[in-house]
Amino acid sequence: MTSSAFTTATLGHAYGNVAALHSLDFEVPRGRTGLVGANGAGKSTLIMILLGILTPTTGSATVLGMDTHRETIDIRSVVGYMPEGPCLPLDQTAADFLVYAAGTAGLPKRAARQRASDVLTLVGLNEERFRYLGDFSTGMKQRAKLAQAIVHDPELVFLDEPTAGLDPSGREEMLDLIERLGGFGINVVVSSHVLRDIERTCDWVVMLDNGTLLHTGPIGEQQSEGSVLLETIDDPEPVARALTNAGASITARGRTLEISVAEGDVYDTVRDAVVHAGASIRRLDGTGGTLEDMFLQHGERR
Amino acid sequence: MTDRTGAVYDLGYEPFEGERSGRRGARKAVYFDGIRRVLGLRRKARRKIMPFLLLFVALVPPIVAVGVGFLLPAGSADGIDLAGQNADFFALSGTIAMLFTALAAPELLIPDRKDGVLSMLASRPLTPGDYLGTRFASLATVVGSFMILPQLLLFFGQAGTDPEGLFQGFINAADTLPKILAVAGVYTIAYVPLGFVVASLSNRKSIATASYLAVMIALTAFAEAIVQGSNIAGGRWVALLTPINTADAANIWIFGGSNPDSLLAAADIHPAFGIVALVVFGSALSLFALHRYRRLM
Repeated sequence: MTSSAFTTATLGHAYGNVAALHSLDFEVPRGRTGLVGANGAGKSTLIMILLGILTPTTGSATVLGMDTHRETIDIRSVVGYMPEGPCLPLDQTAADFLVYAAGTAGLPKRAARQRASDVLTLVGLNEERFRYLGDFSTGMKQRAKLAQAIVHDPELVFLDEPTAGLDPSGREEMLDLIERLGGFGINVVVSSHVLRDIERTCDWVVMLDNGTLLHTGPIGEQQSEGSVLLETIDDPEPVARALTNAGASITARGRTLEISVAEGDVYDTVRDAVVHAGASIRRLDGTGGTLEDMFLQHGERR
Repeated sequence: MTDRTGAVYDLGYEPFEGERSGRRGARKAVYFDGIRRVLGLRRKARRKIMPFLLLFVALVPPIVAVGVGFLLPAGSADGIDLAGQNADFFALSGTIAMLFTALAAPELLIPDRKDGVLSMLASRPLTPGDYLGTRFASLATVVGSFMILPQLLLFFGQAGTDPEGLFQGFINAADTLPKILAVAGVYTIAYVPLGFVVASLSNRKSIATASYLAVMIALTAFAEAIVQGSNIAGGRWVALLTPINTADAANIWIFGGSNPDSLLAAADIHPAFGIVALVVFGSALSLFALHRYRRLM
């Protein structure tokens, strides 16, 4: 069994004269991976190529060790896909559709029925299983979309903007479900432009910008590097002095300090300085927590 | 107080460890979904009305004919001979099959595109050819059934009213069975591919249905105008462009009759050429629909 979820080798794709992906060359390990980028960055195009729906203009890609061009049907037998747009037949009940979705992945009828029931329970739609999908709310539709993507117990599932259009509680529920998928042995690739969703659910990130690879690596690495924001309840001066003595660079804006360190973990440095100064803090947050910040960091390095 | 305690069991996640039938299973699932869809099965009640109304209309005439055939056997005075009526009933059920195709082809293809189900199917072990082929098979099965069921009623009616007895009746009527299958195939190839092409080009079911019927009628009117009303050199071959007339002429020919008033007869074209033309046009239209779907899946 290959250790990578997918790989790309000088992968490129163009829609006519418009290049969507430029010579991507990277490997993503199994686990939960976030595919991050602004709209038009090439995330959906990459997923389409990995599913064998689009043929790359240049280069190649593998999914679970299989070539996307030559072994398309084999790949599709073991992956699931939750598209960003609609994918539900509005005139069918959730249960009927899930049985159909499992059948289209090659599951026998009895197993398809059992899996449909189990997965509807898993995504919290068991009570709604005999309702028509056209009568579902946006949140329920998103959960039904996730259910069809995993009903056949895929080895790898691609989730394209799974939290799009959800209210805060629906978003939390969806993120909880995505987190749980890893525990079921399902490898996950989540495409999103909301970095916080990726940080919460994934352990690896692939950042795309205008079809080029900006960065790929473990999420923890992203969080430990860069700078942090510290807001104190009282005068920040003692903490600032302790941080300066520890070798940190500080930019002060009122009671908020933007802190960065040349070496070591910035959070460890801040913790020690706060303890040393005996300060009370209101907030400690990474400055690289937004997509824009990370783009700026990696964009400047390019 | 009770010392009984409750327990919550997390059933967890059960991975599927059985055998996956891959592409074969996927095609089977799409095929049976297609049959359910065109008949409105597992859908709201109003979706069942048209298909079953048309099936009812297709079945009533042969039921009545067979009933009358039993009351007034062929040998009696004013008796009805059920043998030899196959072509007439095919002409009626062919028309009903065309109406059914007009409704069912859009129902099979448009919601999958409009509701985005194609994007789900595109991630399954299916090719565009698998998808269209199985959808075609679903519609062909139901359209074929619309035409074969009335004929089977006639077949049993013929056998049951045969003066030589039921068993000999089956033997006497048996030669109609391959003809029934052949004519059902001719009507299917005449009507279904065009329905698929029209449905692949429209995003609204009602417009697709109306467009399909309009194209069928327009082709017939155009061919009649060219063949019967003009002296264009080689214009008689335009008669082959009309699926309705061609299928009807082939139907009569296969059952051993002839219709000197048909458009093909007026154009002096043998019905066998008509069948070849239907197969060629049907294949070309199917390839066009496949080309459309290669860009979608």
